[in-house]
Amino acid sequence: MSHRLSGPERRESILSAAQGLFASKGLHGVSVDEIARAVNVSPAILYRHFDSKQALYNAVLEKFSCQRQSYVDTIVNHGTRFEDALAGMTQVYIDNIAENPDILRIELQSLLEGNPATLAFFQNRWKSFTDYIEFGLNEHLPYDVPNREKIILSAGLMFQGMVREALIQKCLQPQDRLVDLSLYELSHELVTLFLRSIGINKTQLSRKATISG
Amino acid sequence: MDFDSELDASGLNCPLPILRAKKAIAALESGQTLKIIATDPGSVKDFEAFCKQTGNELVSSGEEEGKFVFAIKKAA
Repeated sequence: MSHRLSGPERRESILSAAQGLFASKGLHGVSVDEIARAVNVSPAILYRHFDSKQALYNAVLEKFSCQRQSYVDTIVNHGTRFEDALAGMTQVYIDNIAENPDILRIELQSLLEGNPATLAFFQNRWKSFTDYIEFGLNEHLPYDVPNREKIILSAGLMFQGMVREALIQKCLQPQDRLVDLSLYELSHELVTLFLRSIGINKTQLSRKATISG
Repeated sequence: MDFDSELDASGLNCPLPILRAKKAIAALESGQTLKIIATDPGSVKDFEAFCKQTGNELVSSGEEEGKFVFAIKKAA
């Protein structure tokens, strides 16, 4: 049956199998032969679509980078208040990972493998948040707060760690003790705690901004 | 081209250039034009989507010296 696939369908099936294998074993843990076997084609056919394993890996990453439009929606629709836009962006990010946890698995694999290009790709995804938080805090924090610069830098890291850990606990290793808390409720509570920690009481934040209908 | 206001969003990732542009446009009168400079390659599609959604006009979008430059005219 596999020989009936069109070129684009074949390419897509290779990409999909490669994504799953990279997610469970990392870039270095998978061979081209293994990916070809998973889609029932010869390595020669695979090379017709992708020049190398690295090219295939890059194509998987490229597939992941199509969530930008949603951030634009967030900014246009959720207003420009720091807390609302942050909550909206977090929801977009969380939806994206919940739909495709392989993104998170590949990110964690890449942290251990230390490939600079891949690390830069994932750091760039988080940079949307860290940039946004640094910029927002620069506007919000009074200038006479002690250690202002250090607080601003640390806050971005705190947010990244918090959201990534929530995603790990809910999407990759479901924990019994969190079973009554959905990913969206968890995200809402964490964003609220984060905002409180930087001095923004988010009582006015509309739940629409964090909880999808 | 004459601009009524200018925004340098170099080095910033989406959605910050969009957010800052939205604030800058809010301060303009209808028909006035904002120039935006950005370095994030994704900003090209972002500003197209932004203008489509907000009804503001993307007068121009191009590259100058490795940076992305946009002109957006505020809708009536």
